Amino acid sequence: MLSIILGTVTMAAALRLAVPLILSSIGGCFGDRAGIFNIALESFMLCSAFFATLGSYYSGNPYVGVFCGILAGLGCSALFGVMVFHMGSSGMVVSIAMNLGMDAFTSFLLLNILGKRGSFMDPKLISLPTLQLPLVDKIPYVGEILNKHNLVVYFTLLAIAGTWITMYQTPFGLRLRSVGINEKAAQTTGTNVLRYKWYSVLITGFFVGIAGAILPLGGTSIFTENMSAGRGFLAVAAIMIAKGNPLLASLYSFLFAYAEALAASMQNFGIPSQLVLALPYFMTITVLLFSGIRTKMKNPSKEAA
Amino acid sequence: MKGYIKLLGLDTVWNILKYVFSFLAVMVIGSVLILWQGENPVTAMTYILEGSFGSIRNFGNTLRWITPCILTGIAATVAFKSGVMNLGIEGQLYFGAYAAALFGFYVHLPRFLHVPSCLLAAGIAGMAFALIPALMKLFFNVNEMITTLMLNYIAVLLTEYFTYIVMGISAAGDSLALSTPPIQDTARLTNLVVKTNASTGFVIAVTLVVIIFMVYRYTIVGYELKQVGENRRFSKVGGVNVTWTFLAIFLLSGFLAGLCGSIEVQGTYGKFTASFSNNLGWDGIMIAMIGNTNPLTVLVVAIVWGILKAGSLHMERMCDVNRLTVLLIQALFVLFITVDYRTLFNYFKRKGAIE
Amino acid sequence: MEYILELKGITKRFGSLTANDKINLAVRKGTVHAVIGENGAGKSTLMNVISGLYRPDEGELFVRKKKVSFRNPSDASRAGIGMVHQEFMLFPELTVLDNIMMGYEKRKMGLFLDKKMIRKQVETICEEYHFNIPLDEVVQDLSVSMLQQVEIVKILYRGVDIIIFDEPTSVLTPQGIEGLFDAIRFLVKHGKTVLFITHKLKEVMEISDDITVLKNGHYVNTVTPQQTDEHDLATMMVGREVLMTVRKEEKQCGEVLLEVKNLSVSDYEGRAKLDDVSFCLRKGEILGIAGVAGSGQQELVESLFGLRKSSGGQVLFGGKDITHLNCRNHRLCHIGYVPQDRISEGINREASLWENAIMGYHIVKGFQSRYFLNRKQAVSFTERIIEQFNVKAASTNLKIKTLSGGNIQKLIVGREFLQDNSLLIIEDPTRGIDIGAIEFIWKKIESLAAAGTAILLVSHELNEVMEVSDRILVMYDGQLYDGGGHGEKTETEIGLLMTGGGIL
Repeated sequence: MLSIILGTVTMAAALRLAVPLILSSIGGCFGDRAGIFNIALESFMLCSAFFATLGSYYSGNPYVGVFCGILAGLGCSALFGVMVFHMGSSGMVVSIAMNLGMDAFTSFLLLNILGKRGSFMDPKLISLPTLQLPLVDKIPYVGEILNKHNLVVYFTLLAIAGTWITMYQTPFGLRLRSVGINEKAAQTTGTNVLRYKWYSVLITGFFVGIAGAILPLGGTSIFTENMSAGRGFLAVAAIMIAKGNPLLASLYSFLFAYAEALAASMQNFGIPSQLVLALPYFMTITVLLFSGIRTKMKNPSKEAA
Repeated sequence: MKGYIKLLGLDTVWNILKYVFSFLAVMVIGSVLILWQGENPVTAMTYILEGSFGSIRNFGNTLRWITPCILTGIAATVAFKSGVMNLGIEGQLYFGAYAAALFGFYVHLPRFLHVPSCLLAAGIAGMAFALIPALMKLFFNVNEMITTLMLNYIAVLLTEYFTYIVMGISAAGDSLALSTPPIQDTARLTNLVVKTNASTGFVIAVTLVVIIFMVYRYTIVGYELKQVGENRRFSKVGGVNVTWTFLAIFLLSGFLAGLCGSIEVQGTYGKFTASFSNNLGWDGIMIAMIGNTNPLTVLVVAIVWGILKAGSLHMERMCDVNRLTVLLIQALFVLFITVDYRTLFNYFKRKGAIE
Repeated sequence: MEYILELKGITKRFGSLTANDKINLAVRKGTVHAVIGENGAGKSTLMNVISGLYRPDEGELFVRKKKVSFRNPSDASRAGIGMVHQEFMLFPELTVLDNIMMGYEKRKMGLFLDKKMIRKQVETICEEYHFNIPLDEVVQDLSVSMLQQVEIVKILYRGVDIIIFDEPTSVLTPQGIEGLFDAIRFLVKHGKTVLFITHKLKEVMEISDDITVLKNGHYVNTVTPQQTDEHDLATMMVGREVLMTVRKEEKQCGEVLLEVKNLSVSDYEGRAKLDDVSFCLRKGEILGIAGVAGSGQQELVESLFGLRKSSGGQVLFGGKDITHLNCRNHRLCHIGYVPQDRISEGINREASLWENAIMGYHIVKGFQSRYFLNRKQAVSFTERIIEQFNVKAASTNLKIKTLSGGNIQKLIVGREFLQDNSLLIIEDPTRGIDIGAIEFIWKKIESLAAAGTAILLVSHELNEVMEVSDRILVMYDGQLYDGGGHGEKTETEIGLLMTGGGIL
């Protein structure tokens, strides 16, 4: 049993599953910190998953696919930004409309461009190749977990550190956080609030774009309708619990993904698949509950409703 | 005095213009999408209307689709109007439907008792499922939006699992459509239109909308509910019990969602099928947003939604246009309706004046 | 004479409202120049124009004889102008150092924050100008006068030499004000120029070299303190003679209505915000509570009205224990409340006038039916408020956000006053409204008390507490101290109590 819980297979699977979650949550942290309410990550992800599929299929190169995914992510965030910053729409409504519309949009394009319903699979749809790292594979345990992943996985590990440094050690990050705390005060310090909001939403789009691209190109080589399947929401939950700290958000993302990986290994023990599939969501709710209890213990007088 | 009346009138005018603009924009985009699929937009739209009103049977079918739209729409409306961000209507609907299916199958009662008790059981199940995020919010200040989103996925999976348990081995033969056994005839709602699924559920839904509209317009409770939604702190200071209101509204929203699920089961399917809803709950949320949380506009939007749902199936059968086009257009409509056209217009006017 | 800053014909409009109409201003180098006017005279708008937050619609701005046009606050800052805003422009969750460097960070390797160097510079400034602020503490834990120092250091760090203070004294005690004035004199001695915005005439006479008076967005005059006196300035500001005192007559108060026994409130870390407070309030009495903002008044009022849980003690109202009741039950006991924050607690911006007017009334006196809303009755109640409290509104169906701040406040006060409450808790009833309305509200409070209502008046304007109350209590650090009856103690004595000076 222990070999499953901590085993290299489970851990490596968790890492692989965590990558899209981590990427979208660290991207989302920037939006969260700039005070933008965005639960449309789900739709960003789905859109970029589809365009990554298209890119990889037509070019035969998975990296082109990832690039297309990024473009799609940026496109989605641009739409979100225009609606929320310039058209006076509320972030929540735009998010819900985008989440619902994107489901239809990708299915619609799947049918009208690739001529398929439900899912798309083709030998010409190529996934990202896995890399054999020279030194890492010599390390016991850790090496087994970290070796033989695709480039995006390693990029993710770097991105966690990179975003943390950007957020807390650069003027850019400081100003971005200031925008989220008090817009008017940020303005008096000479920060162009709107520009920083745009930066943050585009950063979100960029990272979620990669996260979406990894769904079809991360090894499965298949695109299915509604492929993101709530991962965007899981990322939002991770951001919320981490209060916009990219390092913590990655940690929670990994936790959710670990639950998924663990459940997948458990399936062999006859646990029904529905419960297995529901485990990450249960996990999220439990973590939300615990973080709520912790805040409550720290500050009991604060009112909830 | 005159100036103020003009001001008030202007608000209404912009409100109407908002719908007109959005409708036009959506029509243009819709036409382009239909042309892309190689069909004439007018033909496609005619098919939609034909599919929803072409015959008595089609009309009955439209009523059948309008019913859940009204119920989920009103469930979302009561929640949003009081500032409760219940995005879990889908999940509550599943639990309601499941409860109705079990109650309809296992319990034997005369018809006049069975139908209402079945509806009630479903409502309570929806309510119970809404209780989880409500309590988490009230006691630990956990954002209800994200919990309800998560609970949606859990609800779909859990009801599927429960169905599996209830059915035991018998489900194995027909694993494609995992469903409970049919409910007793005594639990089924009466048909309104022969040979269709239009049931008395429609009457129930419309009655509920009217009641809720009356509550908001003529009662003190309705007044309080509106104020709580618009400024919670103000209402609290003013003596409204906001905690109780929050809980009550969350539960009411869950109850209505559960009711919708049970009407689907008792009026249409006669049993609970796993993953049957296909985003009915989300339809309700869209309807509430377009209806601007006014029960009467919600009724109108729900009717349009039902027509589109029923008609698009027909359209897909008759021509090359895919049903997804309609779904896409619905989402776009929500997007367009949120735009603040007035500010936008003034902005461009100013810009034009400067240059 | 050298003018460091000159404004010529500055006009700023917001929609149909002209906040500044062709304003001229010339500021001499190395002086304190006061700009005074009533609330709504356009002082803050003018300063926001100078500091680059707003762009003027017409007019020209000269800094050191050079014509400038600011697109944003950093342009102004580059030209050497900085502003200490009335509401502090700080980020509560960040540290003092982060707040100071914000927007003007030094970098290392062109990319990363060079906190070491910034710290060194800030420390130098603090030393030079005698400021003593903790750089690593989080801003939300600091006291108000400390925050003001942070603001000043922030401006100095940007290397400006024209500093604008927007109503800097409104949050300070008399002693704090002295400290601020010392700092301002010190700054001027070091060659800085100070623009000082206020509506308090006594301060103007004390600190400034030049005084410019604004009224209704217009320029009135520029004078020196030697040429004028407070009375003249007041006439210039208001355009009519004002009598800012409410005549007090000896009166008999009734029986004890409210009795607070050993009430305590602690915050989430267990620190006592309100420490063992006891007092009582009689029918027909106006009890004023003075104190520096954040001394525990908020906690006291909120726990009295059921908005906050107390950690100990008891509140008796007419002999009945109301300690643990919620707001609704307080209202049902006929206790009224005029909240300090009128936009977020006093009204619902999105609702109509009548919907705002009946809040509270709808459960207390209620309508004929407990369940149904009688619109006719609601409208007639609203019209009564409008009539008796001089609310300028055309219709009861208007959205309340179309009214001005003063009219909104009158509506809120009217709503609470006309509900036949036997106890009224009033917090800062005259904050940010013009002198005419202040007088009006004070008189209403007087007449309500004369009719037998007990009134608890909590205000951050010491002046208000001293004028209106029959009896004064002073709050300092969560505890109450006796401030005597009306006119018993001087402003200085009470000011001393407010800072804990007279206690130890």
